[in-house]
Amino acid sequence: MKLYKKEGNILQIISFPTENAEKGDYLLVEDGYAGKALIAQVIDVQFAAVPGVLEELLRTLPDGGEPLQGEDIDPMEIAPHITYIQDASLLICKIRATLENDMLSPSSSWLPSRSQSTIKKLSTPLLIKLAKIEGKLPIILGGTKDSTLLTIDASSLDGTLNIITGKKGCGKSHLSKLLMVSLVGYKATVVIFDLNGEYGNLGVTNDGKRNLYYGKIHVFTPGQNFKVALEQLNLNTVMGILVNALHLPGTSAREFRRLWKSLKERGKLSMQELGEAIRDLNCNQHVRDALASRFHSFVNSGFFTDCLAEATLMDETLMKTKDAGGALVINLKNTSNVDRQIIVEYVLGKLVDSLQNWKLRAVFLFAEEAHLYLRETYWDDIVTRMRHYGIFTTFITNQPDTIQETIYRQADNIFLFNFTNEHDLDVVSRAARVDAETVHSIARDLPPHHCLALGRVVCDFPIVARVRALDIKTMGETRLFFKTVN
Amino acid sequence: MIEQYTITNKYNFPQPNIDTLLPQRFFEQSLHSLQRVHQQPLQLNTAIQRLHTTEQYATSLQLKPQPITLKPDRQGTTITAADTSTIKVGETITGILVAVRAATAWRQDGTYRYTRLGPFIFHVTEENKDQLYNSLEHAYFSTTCNSMHQPTPNIMQMPMRLANLLERWLQIMLAKTVTKGILLFDGSLTAGTPETPPQRLKEILSCARKNGSTVLAFSKATTLRANGVLITEQLPSREPPYLLETAGLHSKPPQVLLGNVYVARLNKANIAFRLDVDKEVLFEQQIDAIQKLLGNDIYTQGYPETLRLSHILCTFTANEVLAIKHFITRKHGIQIINRPDMHRLLFGPYGYKGEAYA
Repeated sequence: MKLYKKEGNILQIISFPTENAEKGDYLLVEDGYAGKALIAQVIDVQFAAVPGVLEELLRTLPDGGEPLQGEDIDPMEIAPHITYIQDASLLICKIRATLENDMLSPSSSWLPSRSQSTIKKLSTPLLIKLAKIEGKLPIILGGTKDSTLLTIDASSLDGTLNIITGKKGCGKSHLSKLLMVSLVGYKATVVIFDLNGEYGNLGVTNDGKRNLYYGKIHVFTPGQNFKVALEQLNLNTVMGILVNALHLPGTSAREFRRLWKSLKERGKLSMQELGEAIRDLNCNQHVRDALASRFHSFVNSGFFTDCLAEATLMDETLMKTKDAGGALVINLKNTSNVDRQIIVEYVLGKLVDSLQNWKLRAVFLFAEEAHLYLRETYWDDIVTRMRHYGIFTTFITNQPDTIQETIYRQADNIFLFNFTNEHDLDVVSRAARVDAETVHSIARDLPPHHCLALGRVVCDFPIVARVRALDIKTMGETRLFFKTVN
Repeated sequence: MIEQYTITNKYNFPQPNIDTLLPQRFFEQSLHSLQRVHQQPLQLNTAIQRLHTTEQYATSLQLKPQPITLKPDRQGTTITAADTSTIKVGETITGILVAVRAATAWRQDGTYRYTRLGPFIFHVTEENKDQLYNSLEHAYFSTTCNSMHQPTPNIMQMPMRLANLLERWLQIMLAKTVTKGILLFDGSLTAGTPETPPQRLKEILSCARKNGSTVLAFSKATTLRANGVLITEQLPSREPPYLLETAGLHSKPPQVLLGNVYVARLNKANIAFRLDVDKEVLFEQQIDAIQKLLGNDIYTQGYPETLRLSHILCTFTANEVLAIKHFITRKHGIQIINRPDMHRLLFGPYGYKGEAYA
């Protein structure tokens, strides 16, 4: 390999067919005289502009247009050398860091010698070692192209905002499960908004046996084992549900607040009493109708109960996970859009409450396709206010444009799977810790189950890895009509 | 002479007993010459001093005013062409490195095919040039420079002379193997130059005639003038294709003109070429041959496609020159050096001589 050009933080390197450099590979451009080296990542592989190639290709086409048939008698065997030159490639590389005295710095301001520099591939283990990607709390993400394990540090997910995105069926949920169980393994509290009911069996192996996490996975299915009594709720949480999820207007909200306080003072905070109180409320007809319709939404959700024995004490589970770690899977499968929003409002309100009171230290929240249940104003809330309380969110989506730009700009880690659509890639490249060229070039060619890890987890050295398999019962498979036929 | 065929068995032509040793000898001589070049530094330079022998003629040339109208004859005829190319790859401290390649193209049953020979790479030095050239001359033509009372070419002439040797060999092979075909040569049918002794060209033409073939030689450029104007620039306003006959053209000894010279305008493209046709062939047969060429080949720019292909196929592209450099570096341990170009050094951008990929 030979250094050809440097423009900004882009290096162009000539590579010959035997050198086998591919997109995603890291190269070390060492200048012995300067005593420094550049670490650059291949983000694109192009044909080198070898002079005469066009003539070479065109001359086998006679005027008739059909390819010319013929034979080459080449006793000196020059042809392989011609092919070797013709197939030379130009590696477009992004400079990631400068290595000097075993220390990395993000600088790319110096120019290595074109004639004297040596260029060689930088193996992933060496890169991981130099960049200190591995930490004290390792999470094995998967294998890299050179068959080494990519291990990230769990603490690099701590206090961060993460995004897992990619095309449908490329392995996003699988990675989120891997991160989740790994965090649970380190005794973290994890909450998952499980839209498709696929996280419930994380405690069971593929062959149906209990695994390490069996006792730590707590599935909450609204209307079944997840119900709340009004008595357990504080007014702020209920108001949150009414205003944000059920869009109760201001005047009605004020009336409801009065009603709630009155019932609470009388010790009659139940669904039945609330229903009757709304029916008997002496106020404007529109206000009463508004409150009545919200009350029916409460009733229809099946999430609220007057039976305390039926009510789930989410606090207890959260307390359990505080010391031993665990995952609370909020199963949103088979719930209507309105019910989903009610439940999410409740859970988030509960988490904020627990965190505010230091009942919990921090929570890792995994939100799949969050645009389906998260109100718009919550996005900013999650990345700013809730982050400070200790809710560290990971968004998982196959529609990157449903996540607001502000979220991308503040994302600390992005796990990017394959995308072919330019628009999707444009959206992802808005992330502050990502450069657009890397995203566009590498993500487009990622095979299924391979992800490009970007951001803090890889110390800003984007690395492609095949996400490792998990011995857990998967439930995220798409139901197919022709499955038995095939 | 050998009985077995080595290279020629790959051709689709009938195969009489001919000497096919030359490419093998080229290969042997090439390897032999390169053995001496080991570990020598190489100065890259592709500039070739093209030392063409100027053809000399008496100046009473006239163009006959009445063009000969041509009608394409589509009777199936094999059209073949041969051409060679040479390039100086660089200089060593003792000589030059030269690459030579030949190509023959033919059109049969409406399809073009080709065979390429080479490239052959030679390290030509003062020390080995006599042996190199004479052994190749002797291998096929059974002559040497001494026997023809000619000096051995100097080093700078060697690339062209080696290419010429290979081209003549290829031409005689076509003449001996193609029957009732048209043989297209690049250049004229003038002999008596140092690289083309009359006997050599006569033998080629004679072989072709014996096999019922006709040799047509197309010159891409000519210096022949009638009344002070280039003969290819005096085209009558007549619907092509047609020929213009020349008269009064006499070569100056020792050169000898073995063809009748025409100006050929083969299609509507306003381009005409000097065309030499074996003068030993009857006039009617000459015209027949040109009409068969018109009926069997493509000539979009007034130039036969078969001949164009043979030229294109043997020409070295920049990519191939790089590959040759790669080959000699890897196989023969030659260290490429970049001495300053004196022209560039002294004259800056005005010292550029047009050579590329040095």
